[in-house]
Amino acid sequence: MRIQLMIPCLVEDCLPEIGLAAVSVLERLGCAVDHPQGQTCCGQMAFKTGDVAGARAQALHSLEIFADTGAVVCPSGSCTKMLRTYPQLFEPGTRDHARAVELAGRVSEFCEFVLALPGAPDFGGELKARAALHRSCQLDGSDAPQRLLSAVRGLTLLEPERPERCCGFGGLFSLQFPAVSESLLEDKASELLALDPDLLVSAEPSCLMNISGYLSRNGRMTGPGRALHVAQVLDLALNGALTGGALWS
Amino acid sequence: MVLTSTFTPRNFREQSERASHDATLRAVLDHATRYFMGKRGAALEAFADRDTHFARARSARLTALSRLPDLLEQLERSASAAGTKVHWAADAAEGRAIVTGIAKGCGAKVVVKGKSMVTEEIALNPALEATGAEVWETDLGEFIVQLAGEPPSHIIAPCIHKSRADVAALFREKLGLADLSDSASIPELTLLARRALREKFLAADLGVTGVNMAVAESGSVILVENEGNIRMSTTCPPVHVAVMSLEKVVATLEDAADLLRVLPRSATGQKMSSYVSVLTGPRRADELDGAREAHLVILDNGRSEVLADPVLREALLCFRCGACLNSCPVYQTIGGHAYGSVYSGPIGALLSSLLLPAEDTRDLPFGCTMCGACKKTCPLGIDHPNLMLRLRERVCAGKPHFIGAAHAFLASHPLAYRLAVGAARAVDPRLDLLPRLPGLPSGLASFVESRQPPGLKSSFSAQLRAGRKKQGGA
Ligand code: SF4
Repeated sequence: MRIQLMIPCLVEDCLPEIGLAAVSVLERLGCAVDHPQGQTCCGQMAFKTGDVAGARAQALHSLEIFADTGAVVCPSGSCTKMLRTYPQLFEPGTRDHARAVELAGRVSEFCEFVLALPGAPDFGGELKARAALHRSCQLDGSDAPQRLLSAVRGLTLLEPERPERCCGFGGLFSLQFPAVSESLLEDKASELLALDPDLLVSAEPSCLMNISGYLSRNGRMTGPGRALHVAQVLDLALNGALTGGALWS
Repeated sequence: MVLTSTFTPRNFREQSERASHDATLRAVLDHATRYFMGKRGAALEAFADRDTHFARARSARLTALSRLPDLLEQLERSASAAGTKVHWAADAAEGRAIVTGIAKGCGAKVVVKGKSMVTEEIALNPALEATGAEVWETDLGEFIVQLAGEPPSHIIAPCIHKSRADVAALFREKLGLADLSDSASIPELTLLARRALREKFLAADLGVTGVNMAVAESGSVILVENEGNIRMSTTCPPVHVAVMSLEKVVATLEDAADLLRVLPRSATGQKMSSYVSVLTGPRRADELDGAREAHLVILDNGRSEVLADPVLREALLCFRCGACLNSCPVYQTIGGHAYGSVYSGPIGALLSSLLLPAEDTRDLPFGCTMCGACKKTCPLGIDHPNLMLRLRERVCAGKPHFIGAAHAFLASHPLAYRLAVGAARAVDPRLDLLPRLPGLPSGLASFVESRQPPGLKSSFSAQLRAGRKKQGGA
């Protein structure tokens, strides 16, 4: 199966390891991975700051990039959600609206996509570790990450007291309300660490950056391999290696 | 809406930042919001056919909004027929004038009040006091915040921000109870408040309450509570004034019943509140109690304008169960006062943005991480995050936020984007200079101070290309 990989801007430039792990897992599971050139950002930042015109411009750009039919897979819940929001940006009845609806219908979040592949969820991966999962509110309640991780042999899946509570990032929110954001982050970090995990796992790159950046800054993250995207956990479990390396060196 | 304290929505950002540093406040809020969410969760678990009931409640509210002008006229007719005097108030000032007019007309010296957000919204208490009357809040929580000289900080739990010891200290000072210990139990404190208030009920000339629902077909006013003080406010004094914002109307008693099945469960985790009063007109000749004179004030105060917006009008579906406040991580962290207006939390940020002057509320829709906990909680299916986005759009109105704009430009110009990131990568790969760049918000400095940024690495595209080349070559 041929798929087009959509790489969030944050992953492209700051967390490339996640993208590389996603490619490795998808290829291992039999997908041919295309990475269409010219990708920038899904438009989420503009959309969430109220700049609908800016978001529309970016949506048009994405419509061009992913014009080829076929599944689009993205290792981020929030970017996936943004692509699914595109139809809202265009007047119903227009050609762009129709294209947006068509694209929205074939985009999947990475975990959702993998879970729908033949043989899911048990692909025979194995990893001995205690993994604390931050579900991320951006995945809209999807249980795909839990189901994939539960199927990894040897892996103990741990969930914090309030699994879906926001980690406090919220994009611009964390810049405009830094103290409130940090309070939420501290709540999240301590609930996760209370589980005494070997790994901190999330399917949302921005949450992962927020939480692990905080722990790292405060000297509470022991060992660079500790914060992993679900794609990286699967990569380790299936291929025995972290293609692209750890997020923190 | 009128502001009732030194807090204002204009300073929402500073107020929230300060509140989040207040460890005591956070502990109290954490305890209280968990308590409410826990009770609510248990009640909803045991609620058979929950989704059907939620859908019926939503449909009752949708009907009300879609037929609002007709229903309000019908309400006026049926309430008048039952003997209630109906008044229309276009704004807060008119609302205050009507109620103070009634107070003066009946020579009110003592006014007792049932808990009501709408009278907070129009700042009724100071206006009533200015007529020379004593005004007493009779809901325990409202009584406590009134004694403390503070506005309520939660729709249904006005003193949610206060600990038991705070209340004991307040009673020592304000009720002259010098011996009261900090460890006094809640029943003890309640009893003391009840004693103080009992005298006021008996002496009251006028009772003022809000309205949970007003039924168009019957002209009834429905009031929901747990303490019995609202019922007493409507029955002890000879005159009762009920103040409602106009969206509180429902078409039929059956619609009201659909809402009553959901409201207490969602608000306090009860199947039904301890007291539900349905008042239709004043005391009749053959009745032993009830007010001799009943008034209903229907307040607009900006709502008709909200109704005209096809998206934002959804905020008027709200029946104030307060659940979205308890579920909101931001509210859990900063409490109600930080919002600087009567309504707080997710629905409060929406309502205040819609009802207060735009220049005062610019920051409110941004105090949200878009996590969607509110939407998931709301029994009426209000999509708060979507409405927040709509408000953000309105705030920006062609002038997008600096960061958003720069990002938007770069992201739709791939070459410029790659050049910008490439330049940053060459100069400052660890992003250490980021907080010091001129023109960036100071929040960025705090962000980077508390979180190690991941830094700019060799990009995904470059690494993928290099990897594939190697593979291809091998
Ligand atoms: S918005 Fe929904 S959850 Fe929030 S108070 Fe209103 S009805 Fe309750």
